Amino acid sequence: MNVVRRNLGRAIGPALFLAAAVLVILMPRFMGEFRLLQFTLVAIYAIALIGLNILTGYSGQISLGHGAFVGVGAYTAALLSLGRPGLEALQLDPPSWMPLGDGMRPIFTIPIAALVTGLFGLLIGVPALRLGGISLALATLAIAVSFPIVMKRFAEVTGGGGGINLNLPETPFGWDISTRHWLFYEAWVTAGIVFLAGWLLTRGRIGRAWRAIRDGEVAAVSSGVNPALYKTFAFGVSAAFAGAAGALLAIETAYVNPDTFPVGISILLLASAVIGGLGSLAGAIFGALLYVFLPIYAQKPPIFSFEFADQAPGVVFGVFLIVIMLLLPGGIAHFFRALVVAARTGRFRRRSRTSELA
Amino acid sequence: MKKLLLALLGVGAALTVALPGAFARTEATQAPDAVPGITKNSIVIGGTFPLSGIASLYAPIPRGMEAYFNYVNARRDKKTGQRGIYGRKIVWKYYDDGYNPGQTVQLTNKLILDDKVFATVGSLGTEPVLAVRPLHKKLKVPQVLVSTGASYWGLQYKEYPWTSGWQTDYVAEGRVYARWILQNAASSKIGVFFQNDDYGKDYLRGLKQGLGSRRSLIVSELSYELSDSSYASQLSRLRQSGADTLVLFTTPTPTARAIGTAKAVGWNPKQIVINSVSATDQVMAGAARAAGQAYVNGAISTGYLKNNTNPKYRTDGAIKAYRRIMGKYGPDGININNTFYYYGVAKAYDFVKLMYLAGKNPTRAKLMAATAKMNWVNPYALKGVRIKTSRTDRFPIDQGKVVRYNDGSWTEISALYKGR
Repeated sequence: MNVVRRNLGRAIGPALFLAAAVLVILMPRFMGEFRLLQFTLVAIYAIALIGLNILTGYSGQISLGHGAFVGVGAYTAALLSLGRPGLEALQLDPPSWMPLGDGMRPIFTIPIAALVTGLFGLLIGVPALRLGGISLALATLAIAVSFPIVMKRFAEVTGGGGGINLNLPETPFGWDISTRHWLFYEAWVTAGIVFLAGWLLTRGRIGRAWRAIRDGEVAAVSSGVNPALYKTFAFGVSAAFAGAAGALLAIETAYVNPDTFPVGISILLLASAVIGGLGSLAGAIFGALLYVFLPIYAQKPPIFSFEFADQAPGVVFGVFLIVIMLLLPGGIAHFFRALVVAARTGRFRRRSRTSELA
Repeated sequence: MKKLLLALLGVGAALTVALPGAFARTEATQAPDAVPGITKNSIVIGGTFPLSGIASLYAPIPRGMEAYFNYVNARRDKKTGQRGIYGRKIVWKYYDDGYNPGQTVQLTNKLILDDKVFATVGSLGTEPVLAVRPLHKKLKVPQVLVSTGASYWGLQYKEYPWTSGWQTDYVAEGRVYARWILQNAASSKIGVFFQNDDYGKDYLRGLKQGLGSRRSLIVSELSYELSDSSYASQLSRLRQSGADTLVLFTTPTPTARAIGTAKAVGWNPKQIVINSVSATDQVMAGAARAAGQAYVNGAISTGYLKNNTNPKYRTDGAIKAYRRIMGKYGPDGININNTFYYYGVAKAYDFVKLMYLAGKNPTRAKLMAATAKMNWVNPYALKGVRIKTSRTDRFPIDQGKVVRYNDGSWTEISALYKGR
């Protein structure tokens, strides 16, 4: 009996992953174009949130700058997919030292954007070593605040406030599926890869080291973990995932603009990661669902009285955040995990081990 | 473990069967002659507006439009005797993009794909409209009467034949300020404060074009970002540059803040020039609260619509109609004097005219053709202003007057000019 239970417990993760994969594959059958677009965005933001979750949920470092990482990825993808000729056609004048190429298929820009953003994240990670807790949050916030300004400053490359219009997405390789479906599968396959990468990273030695640092740096050091190495690495991985999300976002919307990545995006990402559940990869999916759907559902103006409706989407999101944190301090993912545990043991634990981070 | 493997295999087999079907195209198949958004008794249209966030001062615009559409749906047309437009009621859907172009893309997709609108009407903001202009072109959906005065809409109609503008463009308006300064204060030293994007730069370009060889009158030009929390450093530097004329190419909320900051850093420019987008009663009231009524009195701007709060227009037919429509069809408990409701009503009037011009059986192509054949008087615009386009002129409104602010309202002080 016990053996069966243990094996069931082990199978539950892969089984859920497979179930989710089947669901994703079948989804386009039952959905209109706009729903599909929303679920494409869910995949994209899930990727960014997995990145943020690795940083905050696993290695215990708070980032309020992930919107900027997403932005770096988006601009990288935009510049590379257009290439130098494409940018010059838009009357931009990128300096000659930039390796922009002659334009490439958007899908190939995703890994490159991840790499570029990952390197950027490593750079940020180095000074972040000296900062912890609230100081690190503020330092990353500074990155988020300055990102749009920097993008506007270098208008000869980025198009300034007007942004860059990419070529509208098309199904590549002459495949006979609609572009909307192509974007959907492209995003979800990337999300699947990122999810598996995240899972492999967090389950083994590296994940153990991250958790050790999160739960007590001194204890981690005394057990032979090098915090500098692992913290910087967490920043790099986290940024790389956000960069991949940014590339997908640029491909999907076919437009990048500094004001698409305001500081609010970074804060909303962190809020979604917390609501979804820190320290859980599945939590990223819940967070992304909220990120995409809640603002739209909060949208049907006029809601309540007229003055109130002006700020309603933000207010509804905020109220929701507070309610969830009160009811489910560990986020949605922990709630489901606690349900599973409760089904097995008959005891329901409201708090998760990572909830104090929130 | 064996059971798990078996289960995995089963799922894999199921997937292989399901996959080909899942990849099938599901694009909606429509009757060939059906026009999206048009039925026998309705026209569905939509738009995106900043109802929240940095530009939420514009939030009344879609609600003013809504009031006017409700009025059109309820009244009987004198010629046809039918309610709505040829018996079709206007269904108006608008969403809050928070002035974030990323949101605009998502919500415009929602309007086109999900709500299946006939056209988007009056969507607001240069960057948000730029963000979805290629989308309209690709899907051949009209994007008409956009609420931004960037010169793109009037100039690039060949590249983007599915997009049309409405109000006077910023470049032309910038030239009008240059002309006014040269005529009335030719020895002034100009300090420009502008928003660092296409909006502010369009205006600045117009001003410089208008000054021509006297461009050196501009002694300093400084910009701000929407995310800036203080303008003190820019305005101190403008003051130190010796400028005596403050030209503001700024959006509404920053305008009031900039004037407050100018006063706070101890600068008393002889003349303040405010671009027409921001020259509203609400902004001026805010600026007067921050800097004092005397400080903002005498400010110069331009206008193409009647100023609905000016006592001069109290008995004007159009203003009376506006008050009646907002009172009956507008949201409850609003400030009817807010110029942005008036702007919305004026724009909605032109959309209804456009739909009539597109005919009894409108199509998307007919609507776009109509945007190149506009020629009428909008009663909400200044007397003499003609809403007029042609195959080669795609600036519907390109006339206006210079106006001066005094104690709560704007007064026209010039003859009608033509910007283009």
